[in-house]
Amino acid sequence: MSHPGLPAYWAYIVWAFMLLISIFYLFGNMPQNKPLKHFSLLNLPFVKSLAHFLSQSYWPLLLLKIITLSFFLLVIYAGLMGTPIPERNIATVLTWNIWWAGLIVSIFFLGSAWCAICPWDTLASWFVKPRFFNFKINNSLGLTVPRWLRNVWLALLMFIGLTWLELGVGVTTSPYWTALLSLLMVVLATMSLAIFKNKAFCHYMCPIGRTVGFYAQLAPIELRPIDADICASCSSLECFNGTADIDPCPTQLVMGRLTQNTYCTSCGNCLRSCPQENVFWRLRPQSSEAIHSARPHWDEAWFMLVLLALTSFHGITMMPFWEKWITQLAQKIGDSGQLLLSFSAGLIVSIALPVLMYIVVILLTDYFSKTRAGFKKLFTGLVFISLPLAFAYHLAHNLNHLIRESVGASQLFLNPLGVGEKPLQFTENILREYNMLISEDTLFALQALLMMFGFWIAIKVLRYRAYGLKLNSKLSLLPALLYIIAVSGFNLWLLTQPMLMRMGPLCVAP
Amino acid sequence: MVFDRLSLQLIRIISLLFILQLFPAEVLAHHVLGRPAYSLNEDSNTPPSMEVETQIGDYYVTYMVFPAFPRPGEKGRINVNASRIDNGNTFNGKMTFTVRDDGWFSDPHEEVIGTQEVYDGVFRQGFLFKQKGDYIITASFESGGEPYRIDFPLRIGKTSSMGPVGIALILILFILIVVNLLQRKRIVREKIRDSREA
Repeated sequence: MSHPGLPAYWAYIVWAFMLLISIFYLFGNMPQNKPLKHFSLLNLPFVKSLAHFLSQSYWPLLLLKIITLSFFLLVIYAGLMGTPIPERNIATVLTWNIWWAGLIVSIFFLGSAWCAICPWDTLASWFVKPRFFNFKINNSLGLTVPRWLRNVWLALLMFIGLTWLELGVGVTTSPYWTALLSLLMVVLATMSLAIFKNKAFCHYMCPIGRTVGFYAQLAPIELRPIDADICASCSSLECFNGTADIDPCPTQLVMGRLTQNTYCTSCGNCLRSCPQENVFWRLRPQSSEAIHSARPHWDEAWFMLVLLALTSFHGITMMPFWEKWITQLAQKIGDSGQLLLSFSAGLIVSIALPVLMYIVVILLTDYFSKTRAGFKKLFTGLVFISLPLAFAYHLAHNLNHLIRESVGASQLFLNPLGVGEKPLQFTENILREYNMLISEDTLFALQALLMMFGFWIAIKVLRYRAYGLKLNSKLSLLPALLYIIAVSGFNLWLLTQPMLMRMGPLCVAP
Repeated sequence: MVFDRLSLQLIRIISLLFILQLFPAEVLAHHVLGRPAYSLNEDSNTPPSMEVETQIGDYYVTYMVFPAFPRPGEKGRINVNASRIDNGNTFNGKMTFTVRDDGWFSDPHEEVIGTQEVYDGVFRQGFLFKQKGDYIITASFESGGEPYRIDFPLRIGKTSSMGPVGIALILILFILIVVNLLQRKRIVREKIRDSREA
């Protein structure tokens, strides 16, 4: 038994939409760069004072940090001391079914807000730089991050490693390993904070932070200067340097020059430290950053590309055919036990295929274009098309987990360790299907809309990025268009297939 | 004209992908190899059992431990089924079950629990542990001149698992102390340099 896939009629609708948008792309005029419209939250009369209080005061953020930290400590305690039955232990359910699935949904509305209340960083900060009112200790060496580490390669490796642990080793179905992984992240964050200045872990190493950061390019909210001229004439740069009471920007961003959300952790330090009160939250057109302002970098391009590959890989491993493939491969290469060698081979192939496809697309684009911009420039310039594709499928896939598998999670708070609990029974699971958080039809509609959204944004990114790269011939962009169609089509096909549950009675041997 | 051809090509490709979409993947029963799964009979008042399905050499092996969480002094049993991957034939030789302590700094010495013959396709081995702790049960057999060993963990009773927290705290404390010492050295060095410059 598994979750039903998206019905065929929704797939037809998405395909029709994709076809229409593609034709529009081929026949429509190339876009012109128009000034983007923004809407400052300060302009909302009812929200203004509340938003101001929430942003300027330290207490609301601290309270949220304490709440997430409490849940985090509960995860560790329950993981180590609770039942090994994953669906009865709050550690696995809260981490993988609610947080990991919900985190991606939160980015759609709130950008990188999670990073501001991340318990790994909260604990690390309390260990290394504790602060109680006027009492402050700084136990960090404050070394500058070496040049070779100032990129996201390490975060990329950790992200692949996390995927390997999650889907290969099966951390998601082991409360104990979930707790160990949580502890490991705290140790890494603490170590980094104790050695390097600012928050090098958040900036360069955290696989979650970087994923959130890249996806936040698609979010409708951003922290930016209210008046750009004030920032232009500012020489004290409190946002960058901090003040006596407020820490500097943890990822060393200068507000006046900020054009993308990627490294913003939404901590609000800039907002609180600015003496001119010139920084605030504002709304922007969804995905405008990926379309227009995000700057391409080589390491970041690879992260985005692998992110796209891994989101599809998540879906593939939850397809019923995956296990058959891995078993057959294991027989051929003599792999035993948990078949980690075979799984690793599958993971490598799943990353390599879309990356190779993209490389071919870039080579063809370069070949067909008259300008011959060069491989690297095109590779980094067009890679932003992968962001909406990855995000849309990630959201649609995670909605399945969140909506279907989070039912009854509240009961876990009554017995978070699952003491005396028995495995989830088949009938109980059927009941959960009937009591989904939203109706199945609504879920399907949301998934289809998300796939359409991802495709539409990817096309917009392609149009505007091509304009920026001076790729005026539409023939030169046809490979990229086909790439978008192929990836979207494959992800849509994955969604239409029955998907195996992350945990529950379906894990029981037949 | 070029656009007409392009859109025609595009429509063809999308139509092909659309047709492919109509073929759903085969649905199979799911069990993640090598990972424990806990199950309970419907309408059963008995404790849950733990099953692991794995693959080793030429064999699919399924082992079941009942109860899933045995306590000290409580009788339990292990059922193992080994069938060939190529033809599904059950292994019908002898299977030996051994046990060793899996605790930290524990004696790696193995103790034989018993040697069993197949009955109705299953090797059945009873056990009774007097002390709580983490153990590794090994089922071993020989087929085609090759030895097979299948290790699986078994926890008896509720053991304390706060060790990882202790290790994490010790690591963090160690990092903080080292950093603090280095900081002090740095401050002293700076003071000396300042006094020399003065």
